[in-house]
Parts: sequence; structure tokens; C-alpha cells
Amino acid sequence: MGEVMLSVEALDVTFRRGGDTVRAVRGVGFDVARGESFGIVGESGSGKSTVLRAICGLAPTSGGTIRLKGQPLPDPRPATFFRAVQMVFQDPYASLHPRHTVDRVLSEPLAIHGFDRREERIEGALRDVGLGPSFRFRYPHQLSGGQRQRVAVARALILEPEVLLLDEPTSALDASIQAEVLNLLDRLRAERGLTYVMVSHDLAVVAHMCDRLIVMQHGAAVEELTRAALSAHRAATDYTKKLLSASEGFTPA
Amino acid sequence: MTTLLTVEDLRVTFPTRQGPSEVVRGVGFTLGRERLGIVGESGSGKSQTGRAILGLTPPPGKATAKVLDFDGIDLRAASAATWRRLRGARMSMVMQDPKFSLNPVMTIGKQLMEALKFGAGETRAQARARALAMLEAVQIRDPERVFRAYPHELSGGMGQRAMIAMMLVTEPDLLIADEPTSALDVTVQVEVLRILDRLVRERGMGLIFISHDLRLVSSFCDRVLVMYAGRVVEELKAADLGKAQHPYTRGLMNCLPKIEGGVRPLPTLERDAAWAR
Ligand SMILES: Nc1ncnc2c1ncn2[C@@H]1O[C@H](COP(=O)(O)OP(=O)(O)OP(=O)(O)O)[C@@H](O)[C@H]1O
Ligand SMILES: Nc1ncnc2c1ncn2[C@@H]1O[C@H](COP(=O)(O)OP(=O)(O)OP(=O)(O)O)[C@@H](O)[C@H]1O
Ligand SMILES: [Mg+2]
Ligand SMILES: [Mg+2]
Repeated sequence: MGEVMLSVEALDVTFRRGGDTVRAVRGVGFDVARGESFGIVGESGSGKSTVLRAICGLAPTSGGTIRLKGQPLPDPRPATFFRAVQMVFQDPYASLHPRHTVDRVLSEPLAIHGFDRREERIEGALRDVGLGPSFRFRYPHQLSGGQRQRVAVARALILEPEVLLLDEPTSALDASIQAEVLNLLDRLRAERGLTYVMVSHDLAVVAHMCDRLIVMQHGAAVEELTRAALSAHRAATDYTKKLLSASEGFTPA
Repeated sequence: MTTLLTVEDLRVTFPTRQGPSEVVRGVGFTLGRERLGIVGESGSGKSQTGRAILGLTPPPGKATAKVLDFDGIDLRAASAATWRRLRGARMSMVMQDPKFSLNPVMTIGKQLMEALKFGAGETRAQARARALAMLEAVQIRDPERVFRAYPHELSGGMGQRAMIAMMLVTEPDLLIADEPTSALDVTVQVEVLRILDRLVRERGMGLIFISHDLRLVSSFCDRVLVMYAGRVVEELKAADLGKAQHPYTRGLMNCLPKIEGGVRPLPTLERDAAWAR
């Protein structure tokens, strides 16, 4: 592996409220090289989003170390972290401010991080995700689900980060827009050497986008695979085998 | 097959900066006690079609139709009281953004109990057991904890399943499910579909299944409507989705990545302005 961009070691995350304790992540670890695309798949509720949120300092981490370019990350994360690492959240409704127009969603991070040529960047970012200029002054509730998702992707890309954490970035998109967004992400990675960590429940999307992946179940990483192994349906654990066969479509019981 | 829902010339319009924008433009179909899929491009009007059927077009949007008939009831003329009787009890919708449609300051359990509207000879404990059983049926691992949890304490897929549970406890005659399994891993997805399938086959529920997942729709539904720019451009048997005629539908099938690997970059669609006419 080349230079390690992001490393997660023995990560533990525990949520507590009243008598309820949820050990959402148990000893998860992986390294992602600069320019690599790393996938996380797994059961719903297995801790995939929590891993990404922990990298951003947004989860109650109870153990383990997360490093960016070899340096352990301070808590809370400094502003320079969010310049280098951007996240696209799973739930675009919750992550877009309801009273901010698309224009404001995109221009605010540019202003905060002191970017020039803002006008040009906003138009470019919207074009990249297949939204025309007519969407620029709309509010989130005036957009369809997939349009909101694309605004969230545009917001992450506009800061030109080195690392993108993508939580189900295309699960709300139809096949044609999904293909466009995946091609865009692929192209940016090739052109700018970006590093991705991508969560998806769609094995075909992960096979297409990621060089390596882990499979999570119940808070733990149960298996690590290469793209070649996934494509050849060479899985070691029963759970991964089940995922592969369920991906074929619906079969009546 | 008995017809449950008839829709003719449904239109939904929103005022925008550029003038009125018609986002659903003359949609028509009938639904029996079957699984009808709606696929189509992002922004093509799938969700707005579903909402309009339930009278939930968000203001200042306006919905009109030549016919909008649910089991002999003219929905266009439905009073507030009629809607209260119908929604939840006889027709329900699983919204595309589950966390948005769940009440953020109320526990999942409390919301489920409200949906159940227990009473009529049922004790609180019995209703609670029914709610927990439904959470278990949608493959929630620890239903007791989820029952006590608030929406923000759930993962994306758990929120989606809580929402489905809520819509199903009342056993409606018509369910509109808008991307109901988009946040679920495939093994859980299959279990949720089995529940929906059972309700259609055993209880004769009518299901409108909005999804962008073509593989899923072609294996799960009976019929499919393909929408493009606010219109139905093609209607086919779900199993025949691979033999679609419309260039949009055919293009869609080519855009899908494959587990076994394929071309890079993925094929995309060259949209033709004529499709929107
Ligand atoms: N704020 C919170 N408080 C309490 N529990 C939480 C909180 N956030 C997440 N959890 C719990 O942590 C576990 C993992 O959640 P997470 O969102 O990481 O799952 P996921 O793998 O992303 O699932 P999905 O595929 O459904 O999105 C779940 O059991 C969830 O209920
Ligand atoms: N309040 C509004 N004002 C103006 N336009 C709106 C409003 N709400 C929705 N729209 C537009 O209506 C069109 C149809 O939206 P709808 O939500 O039905 O799309 P969809 O087919 O469900 O797409 P997706 O697959 O992305 O969820 C979209 O282009 C959207 O931008
Ligand atoms: Mg998640
Ligand atoms: Mg929609």
C-alpha cells in the first residue's frame, strides 16, 4: 500500500441513554491509501454510518485511534480537518438546512474557508451533479429526494477535499443519475487523487467503485474483501454469501 | 380483478420563480389488488403522484384530476372528515424520507401506539405486544430498545423500517410505498418485501411501489409504470422490463453497475427533448 491517508484502529463507539447501552461499533479497523476507494457494506444498523461519523468526530468514541496522514486526530476536529475531509450524510433531508436555498448551502462553506471565484464554483458544482441553474434558488422542500441528494454531494465536492466520506451517496438516485454521479466521483478520484470511504448497501455500486471493502454485522467487521473477490462471489462468511445471493432480486418464499 | 383505485389525468402544479411548473402532467392508471411499480428519473414526479392520491400535495402546490376514485369514493370531493377516516386506516403512504415523517420528539413506541389506535377491546399491553411484533417482523434486532428510542437514535434503515411498521399495523387497503427499501441492506430488504407481498396476496391490499431499483421492481412487482418528466411514458409487465420499448427505459437498464464488473465509465443516458413532450 502507498501512503496511508486514513487509518482507523480498534474503533469502539458506545451510545448510552437511560438503561440502554448500544455498542454500535466494536473494534473496527482499516487503512485507506491515498487515492484509494474503500467500501463498507453490511447489515442495516451494523454501525456503518457511525464509523464515518466517528471519523468526523461526531460520535461518542470509547476506544481506538483514528489518524489522518499518520497524525492522530484531535477532539474536537479543527477547521482544517473539514477542509481536508468532507462527508455526504445518508439522510439529505436532515443534513440540508430547511430555510437555506441551494445557493446558500453551497456558498457558505466557500465563504467560511475563504475560497475565490465563488460564482463560478457554484455553477460548476451544480452542473457536475446534473442540476441546472434553475435549481440554484430553491429550498430543500422544493426538490425531489434525488435532487436533494445531489445538492449534498455538490456541497461536499465544492470544497475540493482530499478525502470524501460518502454514506449511501446514490441510494436515492435512479439508475441514470446514479451512473452520472458515480462517473463523476470516479473521474475526480483519477484527476485529483481523491481518497474515498463509501458506505452502500448496493454490492454492485461498491464493486464498481471500491478497490477493497469490509463487511459489517452487529458492530464488527466480519470480513474484508478485494473487488476481485467480490466480483467472483468469493466470500468467506455466511453473511456475505447471503448478501450476494439476496442481491439477485426478490424471490417469493 | 376488482379495481381499487382509478386515476385519470392527474396534474400537479407548483408556482416557481419562472412561473407555474407542472410536475405531474396527465398521469392515469388503475390499480387492483396487486403490486404496481412506478420507476422513473429523479424529479420525474413519482413522489408527487403518490402524495396527490392521498391529498397530501404540499401547498402552494395544486393537484387536479378528471377522475380520482378510491373504492367508489371520489377523492377530489373528499371532506376533511372523509380524509381522516381514510388516511391511516384504509390508505397509507410510506414517505421517501422516513426521519422527516417521524415525529422527532416522540419515541418510536409512542408513535406506533398512536398509529394502532388501540381501544375496541384491546388492552394497552396487547397493543404494545402487537407493535413489538411488527418491529420484529421488519427485522429489527432489538425491538424493545427501538420501541423506547427516538428517531435520531436509529440508523437510516431502522428509521425506514419503523416507518413501514407504522404504516402496516393498521393493515390498509391501499399502500403507497415511496422508496420503502432504499436504505436497507439486501437481506433485510427481502424480508420487508415478503411482508408486503403477503399483504397483497393474503389480504388483497393494493400496493403502489415507487422505486428506482429496476432489478427489484422487475422481480417483485406485477406491472410497472415508467415516468419521465411528469408523464407515464410506458406501462409494462414487470417481468418484461428487460424488453422495454421506450428509449428512456431501455437506457436505464444499461446504466446499472454489476457485481461481476463491467464498463467504466458507466453508460449514461442521452436525453432526448422529445421524450418530455
Ligand atoms: N444517537 C444515537 N443514540 C443511540 N443509538 C444510536 C445513535 N446513533 C446510532 N445509534 C445506534 O447505533 C447502531 C448503528 O447505527 P448506524 O447508523 O451506524 O447503522 P448503519 O450501519 O449505518 O445502518 P443503516 O444501513 O440502516 O444506515 C444502531 O443500533 C443505532 O440504533
Ligand atoms: N414545492 C415545490 N416547488 C417547486 N417544485 C417542486 C416542489 N416540490 C417538488 N417540486 C419538483 O417537482 C418535480 C417532481 O418531484 P418528485 O418529488 O415527485 O420527484 P420524484 O420522481 O419522486 O424524484 P426522486 O426519485 O428524486 O425522489 C421535481 O422536479 C421537483 O423539483
Ligand atoms: Mg447508515
Ligand atoms: Mg421521490
